[in-house]
Amino acid sequence: MKISQHMTAPAITITSTTSIPQARQLLQERHFRHLPVVDQTGLLLGMVTDRDLRSAYPSSLLEPAEDQLRREQLERTPVVDIMSPATFTLAAAATLDDALLLLDREGVGALPVVDEEGRVVGIFSIRDLISAYRQLFGLGEWGSAMLALQDDGQPRPLSRLCAALEQADIHFHRLLRATGPHGEKIIYLRVNTYNLPAVRKSLAAAGFSAFHDQ
Amino acid sequence: MQSIRQPVPQPLLIIDHPDFDLHDTGGGEHPETPARLTAIRRQLANSPLAGRLQSHPPRPAERTSLTAIHSESYLLRLEEAALAGRAFLDHPDNQLCYDSYQTALLAAGSGLAAIDLLEEGAGQGAFALLRPPGHHAERAMSLGFCFLNNVAVAARYWQSRHRRRKIMIIDWDAHHGNGIQAAFEEEPDIFYLSIHEHPTWSFPGTGWAADHGSGAGHGATLNLPLPPGSGDHEVRRLLTEVVEPALAAFQPEALLLAAGFDGHRDDEMSGLSYSTELYHLLGQRAAAWAARYCPGRLLALLEGGYHPPTLALSVENYLAGQLEPPRATDHNQ
Repeated sequence: MKISQHMTAPAITITSTTSIPQARQLLQERHFRHLPVVDQTGLLLGMVTDRDLRSAYPSSLLEPAEDQLRREQLERTPVVDIMSPATFTLAAAATLDDALLLLDREGVGALPVVDEEGRVVGIFSIRDLISAYRQLFGLGEWGSAMLALQDDGQPRPLSRLCAALEQADIHFHRLLRATGPHGEKIIYLRVNTYNLPAVRKSLAAAGFSAFHDQ
Repeated sequence: MQSIRQPVPQPLLIIDHPDFDLHDTGGGEHPETPARLTAIRRQLANSPLAGRLQSHPPRPAERTSLTAIHSESYLLRLEEAALAGRAFLDHPDNQLCYDSYQTALLAAGSGLAAIDLLEEGAGQGAFALLRPPGHHAERAMSLGFCFLNNVAVAARYWQSRHRRRKIMIIDWDAHHGNGIQAAFEEEPDIFYLSIHEHPTWSFPGTGWAADHGSGAGHGATLNLPLPPGSGDHEVRRLLTEVVEPALAAFQPEALLLAAGFDGHRDDEMSGLSYSTELYHLLGQRAAAWAARYCPGRLLALLEGGYHPPTLALSVENYLAGQLEPPRATDHNQ
């Protein structure tokens, strides 16, 4: 669940003197959207995004002479003039939950990951979050099927469920208890078997039935 | 006076062998049992269709046909597991017995025997009763009761032995045929189309609508997942709106069906709700597609279907549909 296992590292960084066209070229070549700006020792100074860079370029409606002039000015403009302060960062010891909460709350696309001194050690984007959760949920792992079960409201549902599965020698690798949109308690179970009728039979004997409304 | 001779309708070839019953899955609650084929045989023997069906034996698949799809080391592992008396291979789902390797060879050779007969013009189409099923079997792994990928072996054989280049595989088993997709996903000339229960809810968790094949095979994989509870209406709509345009665009030279019957509402192995009549419609459509694109080259290989009485009725309905050309009014059902 640690960010350090899922981040992109080392991150491609630029320094404050990198020009705007250089930064833009780097993003285009590498298909990134976020670049941390660091000083000579790797300490984080700020972030530049593809949106910042696009806004820095002149409007396509300008007269050609004016457009040329503005582009020449940009050649001499360092990214430090347009970068955003790095208000939000993740520590390398942060978890996927930290990242999800921060990305969601701040509405940003990526967060720099820094060590205790504030040096950039990686970058964690929404794309990294998606692949991390894909892996956690076992998506794409073959040979399994997911069941949605009704939580019967009796005590210790997950313990009872696990005991029933173990007794029937049914292998499973994901178990999740969630609340549905109408407050209903649902248990999602990913089992590693094709023989689902046998699984349902064991679960029914332990008091669990299928949750409908999938 | 000249007599007017009615053309004799060609038979529908049925491939079957008593040795399929030798594959023992250990009893208990294993759903893949000899009772499945017993029920189909009984149903067909007493069916009004019986006179139009012609039985033929399969042959064991040759090594070269198998190694076109499976690795040598896997074939060795499978044979050893059976002969050594192991209870299962790769996962407890895949139960086997001493005779399972030989039976699996016969299952994989069913398509080969049928293809040779069809290419000789011996029938209007063929249906192979067989077990163990095949579409989950991977190049080097057994999965979901499957050991050898019968459909994939047949598709490759049709290409290599009879020079039919463009093969259309349509898989309507309730579960996605991961093994078939994996075998051909980079190939443009073998089109894999599957209608199955959505992979979020269904074994083996593959068959996403977003998969379209890769490399040269991009566009020759088409997954049509259905949410649990889907029935005849959803399938009919897909046939007309998606499957038929895909066939028209691909122009197959042979049509190979991974014919699973576990999408039936009485079959507990899936959450789909097909009726028995849907299989009649599938038979009619398959016959019409073959007549249009590849006359005489229509082969269905049995995959799933785990409630024997329902399976037997569904197979009979499929065959009846194939033997009855659709009436003009059926076309836009």
